[in-house]
Amino acid sequence: MRLLRLLSLPYARKHRLRCLLTAAGIALGVTVLVGMHTANQSVLAGFRQTVDRVSGTTQLQISAGDAGFEESVLERVQALPEVRVAAPVIEAVVDSGMESAGRLLVLGVDMLGDRSLRNYDLEEHTDEVIDDPLVFLAQPDSLIISRRFAEANGLGHGSRLTMRTMDGDKRFTVRGIMKAGGLAGAFGGNLAVMDVYSAQKVFGRGRMFDRIDVALQEGVRIEEAQEKLKALLGPGFEVEPPAARGERFEAIARNFSVSINFSSVFALLIGLFIIYNAFSIAVAQRRAEIGILRALGATRHQIRNLFLMEGAVVGVAGSAAGVITGAAVARAVAAYLSEYMGSVYGVAQKAEDLSSDPRLLGGAFALGVATSVMAAWVPARQAASVDPVQALQKGRFQCISEREARWRAAAALAVLAMVLVALSFRTVAWLFYAAFAGLVLAAILMTPLLARVLTRALRPLLAAMRPVEGALAADSLLAAPRRTSATVGALMLSLALTVGSAGMAQSSRSAIVEWVDQALNPDLYVSASDSIVSRGFRFDPSLGARLRAVEGVEEVQMVRSPRVTFRGIPIMLISMEVESLARRVRRRVVAGDPETMWREAAAGRGAIISENLAIMQGLRVGDVVEIPATHGVLRLPVAGVVVDFSDQRGSVLVDRKVYVKYWGDETVNTFRVYVRKGAAPEEVARRIQSQIGGGQRLFVFTNREVRKYILKVTDQWFGLSYVQLAVAGLVAVLGIINTLTVSITDRRRELAVLQAVGALRRQVRQAVWMEAVAVGVIGLALGLGLGGVMLHYIHIIIRDHVAGMNLQYIYPAETAAMLAPVILAAAFFSALGPAETAVRGSLVEALEYE
Amino acid sequence: MNRLAWLWIGWAAAVQAQDARQIMEECQRRSRANSQRYEGSLKVIDARGRTSEKRWRYERLGSAGNSKAVIRFTAPAEVKGVALLVHNHPDRVSDQWMWRPAIARDQRVAVQDRGTRFFGTDFTFEDLEERDVDQYEYRLLGSETLEGEECWKIESRPKRSKSSQYTHSHVWVRKRNYTFAQIENFKRQGLVRRLRYRDMALVQGIWTARTLEMHDLERNSRTILYLEKLEYNVALSEDRFTLQALRRES
Repeated sequence: MRLLRLLSLPYARKHRLRCLLTAAGIALGVTVLVGMHTANQSVLAGFRQTVDRVSGTTQLQISAGDAGFEESVLERVQALPEVRVAAPVIEAVVDSGMESAGRLLVLGVDMLGDRSLRNYDLEEHTDEVIDDPLVFLAQPDSLIISRRFAEANGLGHGSRLTMRTMDGDKRFTVRGIMKAGGLAGAFGGNLAVMDVYSAQKVFGRGRMFDRIDVALQEGVRIEEAQEKLKALLGPGFEVEPPAARGERFEAIARNFSVSINFSSVFALLIGLFIIYNAFSIAVAQRRAEIGILRALGATRHQIRNLFLMEGAVVGVAGSAAGVITGAAVARAVAAYLSEYMGSVYGVAQKAEDLSSDPRLLGGAFALGVATSVMAAWVPARQAASVDPVQALQKGRFQCISEREARWRAAAALAVLAMVLVALSFRTVAWLFYAAFAGLVLAAILMTPLLARVLTRALRPLLAAMRPVEGALAADSLLAAPRRTSATVGALMLSLALTVGSAGMAQSSRSAIVEWVDQALNPDLYVSASDSIVSRGFRFDPSLGARLRAVEGVEEVQMVRSPRVTFRGIPIMLISMEVESLARRVRRRVVAGDPETMWREAAAGRGAIISENLAIMQGLRVGDVVEIPATHGVLRLPVAGVVVDFSDQRGSVLVDRKVYVKYWGDETVNTFRVYVRKGAAPEEVARRIQSQIGGGQRLFVFTNREVRKYILKVTDQWFGLSYVQLAVAGLVAVLGIINTLTVSITDRRRELAVLQAVGALRRQVRQAVWMEAVAVGVIGLALGLGLGGVMLHYIHIIIRDHVAGMNLQYIYPAETAAMLAPVILAAAFFSALGPAETAVRGSLVEALEYE
Repeated sequence: MNRLAWLWIGWAAAVQAQDARQIMEECQRRSRANSQRYEGSLKVIDARGRTSEKRWRYERLGSAGNSKAVIRFTAPAEVKGVALLVHNHPDRVSDQWMWRPAIARDQRVAVQDRGTRFFGTDFTFEDLEERDVDQYEYRLLGSETLEGEECWKIESRPKRSKSSQYTHSHVWVRKRNYTFAQIENFKRQGLVRRLRYRDMALVQGIWTARTLEMHDLERNSRTILYLEKLEYNVALSEDRFTLQALRRES
């Protein structure tokens, strides 16, 4: 501690800005970790809270994915002796149509039986709606709303609000107001309750329910009733306690959580580089000080501990700041995530309150400190191994001995060999990830060697440009390989991560654009929801005939795409008229004969599965997919595998008649409309709106609008990658500025000697500039190269372990081209100040040691 | 106690049960009519003294638990047209459907919901079912004077086949004319509802209460049902008691 106070504190005071930047590195990592995870947890907690509040005293919930089921199921459930109450539910999130309200969770319940499950706790003057539900039931426009929603929108008992229903705009009357808390707190208080049979009409459910909430007779065990209900209803139904819905939501959003984990690791890795870099420099700067300490009797152990303590202090400060800023940014991120997940997954959740898990905060803090100490470990060991005599010989420290160079090269090659072997075991996730980390380690170990090779290669070029200055710059880099490799290494890793992220985003986007081009080619989409992915509202299939009758319409395809459970995971089941689809689209077939695939699927004898499902579930053409349905188990052989990005967990395309047969559901999510040759899609869209849209809820999107929407959602998904890109780029720039500044400042004496022996100021200045730019060039070359290799393995991780997306390798040349001038400019500008200080400073002062 | 004493107790109990059942059968016999129609006026007075009123028209075809009935609300305006169709079965629980004209569809009233209040009244859906003698077991508890009238007090318990929210009921039957004077319904926690039959009148040879008052002792609220334009044995066709008829007449 005394050493810390006597040595470290004055150094920190002298280099305040650098210390701040170093701590900021860890703070950045912890901020991302805390912010993203807290936001993610808040969204999940928001969903769980909504489920919990909406469930009331429900012990079991019966559902069939998103598909819903016929009303007759209710009677079968109610007839089971173990069941005390079974109440049907329809749940949908709608745009409230009110400026200040946003989205509204509408719960359709049967007011007769539902009172036994949920406590509506109505305000006094409106409680007759519960006491006497006759008016509520007799008037299908009846709504019960929460006090919060009422207050936010200036609504009271008897107020009217308009909602777009499947029968057009309808005015609803507030007939009850729930007191705050309990059920009224679900979905952040944006809750409305209506009669379930009215909800069927409003949301176009036909005679189907989304769910049945069940309470059991006294003394009946939940597991016992669960088994009986499963046996009664068959495998197509999920019978689970309400909490299981939270788990299902987590399963749907799994890829998002993986992405968040990746971002957090990425952020901490960047923090690690910054700390490593800063400490390497500090050790280099303070080697004389270390030498004196060693000469005065300080042990290697004490020196190492001193630097580790410094690492811990920086880690504590950075982590504390990171936890605070992470918690602060979490709210904004949670709102963004909530909106995004709502629009992509169509799941009712609202992250109102931040879910700050003390374990997460403590864990992030500890991880930040540990990362900092870990990053300081190698420089601390270097400091401890400083020889007092060598330390007092200026400049010698920057050399790497032949022995060390040989050791590094051997270690790098050994690691590389192991990595290459391990990377061939693609299916063993932990081994593959370890190999991936090993690849990075091998690159770090090889940095001095590669930097030397590249510097030698650059030397003739630099000398050709400026014989004296160029040669001086190259020789200076060659003479101080440790310093050079520290700067180049940090730059290389930051750039590699940038290239990896950018390449991944670019490959994914390109694949999605290709899919959109091939699969989504109708001229118009007629949707019941204001977003093409939302499934809250559904059409009656009879609308298809009305659409076909509109002038200019050539063909109409019906799409129903609920989420169902396949092998325990939620996937998307897409049902369409396959024969029509086969005529209209040209899909990229990954496996199977296209002609046979379309023919078998159209005849209802086969299923077409998405490539991501095939990869993640190990399915091949001819394998049988088994999907439990409400009317039995659907068993179809895989007729073909196509590229399809409809769902991150995978999709199965079956003919509509197969879906209707197995799920008994004839409703439609979206109509795909092809217009006649010569007809303007916009004009046909207007006709549909004017001829049909007046009497019913209907949204017409043009192909361009749908493409734009999908690409917007894709860009939102990769928003994180872009943030990573920016951060990595920023770190690369900061890293090069930091290390070059220190490196030049460190060489003031050397530069002064040059001037003393006759070098012109201009020559010294240009030598420094060229050296900085050369470091930039070497870092760029290695970073862009390593990034390219990493991208290859990131593709494998994404394909085999995360999402099953088999993406085409696309090197992010544009990003690389953009990074090159930025890094070179940063290198150049970072050398300007120190170069000026070096040439304008007092020679006497610089040479006083001599 | 010797075997003779046991036999005597058993015989006495059987005779008592027989008496109670005979009384109930006589009640049912005297009130039997092939059909019934009335216009009901309902007044609900809650614990705070607030009142609400409704009107309905009631029609029943058949009797003794093998009957069909329709209750159609006629007032207030916002509930007009809502109807309840009840198919009573002698051997099992009744079927009930609600007709909702505003959304033009029927809704089955689940057995689990029969114990809930009938649209803000103190009657439950189950209370509106027709009681058949065979669905209960009876025990004569003795005689009591109720509102100046001599009555038999009989305990009735639903048989296994009869699903009921009530564990048992106490029925007071006027000795004078074999009409119900009062029914007290019990749940496990004790007495929950009391139904009084008042304003007796002889209508087409059948003694009929023209005022029924249900008192919910848990909520301390009361519902008074006035029967007007009461008729028995009116010509009602079977097809009036179907979901199609509800739809047709809405």
